[in-house]
Amino acid sequence: MPITVNASLLIKDNIMQPGFFNHLLLICQFELNRRFATRKGLLSLVTFAVLWYFILLYPLRFAAALVVQEQGLNHHLSIFDFIGLGSSQHWSIPEFDVFWQLALIIFPMLSITLAADQTCSDRERGTLRFIVLRSSRDRVFFGRFTGVMLLQALLISAAAISTMALALSRDASLVTAVLPDLFALIVNLVLIVLPFTSMMAALSAQVKSARQATLWAILIWTFMAGIITGLAYYMPGLDCLKLLIPGYQLVEVAQLSGWQTLQLAYIPLLQCSVLLALGRWIMARQTL
Amino acid sequence: MSSSIVQCQQLNHVYDGKVALNDVNFELQAGEPIGLVGPNGAGKTTLLSILSGFLHPTSGTVRLFGHSPGAAQLNGKVSALPQDARLDPSFTLKEQLVFYARLQGYPKPQAIMEASRVLEAVALPEAADEKPGVLSHGMAKRAAIAQALIGKPTLVLLDEPTAGLDPVNVRTIRSIIAEQTSATTFIISSHDLPELDRLCRRILLLENGRLQTETIHVNEQQSDTRFITLQMESCPAPEVIAKLEALDGVLQVSNPQKNEFVVAYNAELQPTIDLQLLQCLQTNHWQYRQLSHGKTLEEKLFFSE
Repeated sequence: MPITVNASLLIKDNIMQPGFFNHLLLICQFELNRRFATRKGLLSLVTFAVLWYFILLYPLRFAAALVVQEQGLNHHLSIFDFIGLGSSQHWSIPEFDVFWQLALIIFPMLSITLAADQTCSDRERGTLRFIVLRSSRDRVFFGRFTGVMLLQALLISAAAISTMALALSRDASLVTAVLPDLFALIVNLVLIVLPFTSMMAALSAQVKSARQATLWAILIWTFMAGIITGLAYYMPGLDCLKLLIPGYQLVEVAQLSGWQTLQLAYIPLLQCSVLLALGRWIMARQTL
Repeated sequence: MSSSIVQCQQLNHVYDGKVALNDVNFELQAGEPIGLVGPNGAGKTTLLSILSGFLHPTSGTVRLFGHSPGAAQLNGKVSALPQDARLDPSFTLKEQLVFYARLQGYPKPQAIMEASRVLEAVALPEAADEKPGVLSHGMAKRAAIAQALIGKPTLVLLDEPTAGLDPVNVRTIRSIIAEQTSATTFIISSHDLPELDRLCRRILLLENGRLQTETIHVNEQQSDTRFITLQMESCPAPEVIAKLEALDGVLQVSNPQKNEFVVAYNAELQPTIDLQLLQCLQTNHWQYRQLSHGKTLEEKLFFSE
């Protein structure tokens, strides 16, 4: 006599309640799928790739060539000195000097747009309700944050590697010299975008759309920087409040190179912790 | 043995100074579907949102299977169809349902099977690879119900599952619910009283944020006074009332709306009143549309004395 087995019962027996990190991984993976496996995500990646190609081909390549020339002429003034981002110390190759200065501007700005929609549109659409029926708000919040951070880490790595490839196309013998600096660049840039991404995570938990999150980020950042700088000018004791401004350390970091840049890593880590705690608090109280 | 699946004690919720729920207390056991009715703004969606963990109550306690709403222990046990919630337009139905199943703890191959199972259950297997944007309103609703059925939850909260649907889709959703009732308790919020009348044996009535003290049992047949609802074709109402009231055992005949009559009778004195009624209609050459035992849910909830 044939034995019939109810497939759904078998399925039910096999399931186990997933833990925090398992959910984090699943949510993070789904977030990466959104960026790499959907039309909208791919479109924004292609846009970034095209823009980066032109940055690499024109400003970066020409500026690097200029720095090489300046090094040959023993000049100590570059175009970045004019805009206040000239470094007193140099990276192993001129391309990284230029990349470092450009990346310090581009990636925080990219972070503000790329990380703007961590939870807001899903909350407005109601999709977040389907997810929190199966996962906690904390897991969703940190899972989305980790997903966006991973995406940015990949973009930063791709940009840094393409810059390295540009340098190697000029002089292939540089390969052993550039690798440690490549890692230093990637680690530093990931640390630098951390507070910007966590600021967007907190804003996204509060506002209704990605556009609102971006606008609020610009407004809050500008007013916070203006007010704290103004207060610190009259009351020097309040200077420590500048630590609250994401990117506060960028001007100083721009002067450094190699692993020395990690001297100021505590600032983005501290800012990230505060902003994530704030975002988590907002998310926990938010009506979905 | 009946076990309590939902407990609410002194539940209050206030939105910007406006009271949405006012001292709501109730306890529900697993079993037949439970209807949640009330006028617009009565607090139905607020109550279901609190039970689902989407909203924190201003005060009071809520327990589902002994846990707070949103607790990890309820993953896979409690599910919901939130009102107006839509699936992510960037992913196909299957991708999203597999993701939800994986969040519920299914390994990937079983998650794929479970997604197919729930899509079958809502008669949408052919739409598995479609994105929500291309679905009709009825299909989107069924897809949203599919996510609520993943893992055969013990309790499913449905907020207006048939709102805005055509009769064919309403019937499909009714059968989906009816098929799952053996393993799942449904709490269904709806304005569609005939629909709830068909599906639910118990009803919770919310009015101005207050829950009526007693749960109404739709087919309550314990009292000696029982009711028959008679829907007629066009007929002279005063004459019909007079003739029906003259029948043995009839206590009262009311005419709540045009061509509808509610006959109250003593079941002990006259257990076969329906035969007498039909005979009376035939004698007077009056055509009837429908004759049903009991009052309509609408009559019970809003017009009972």
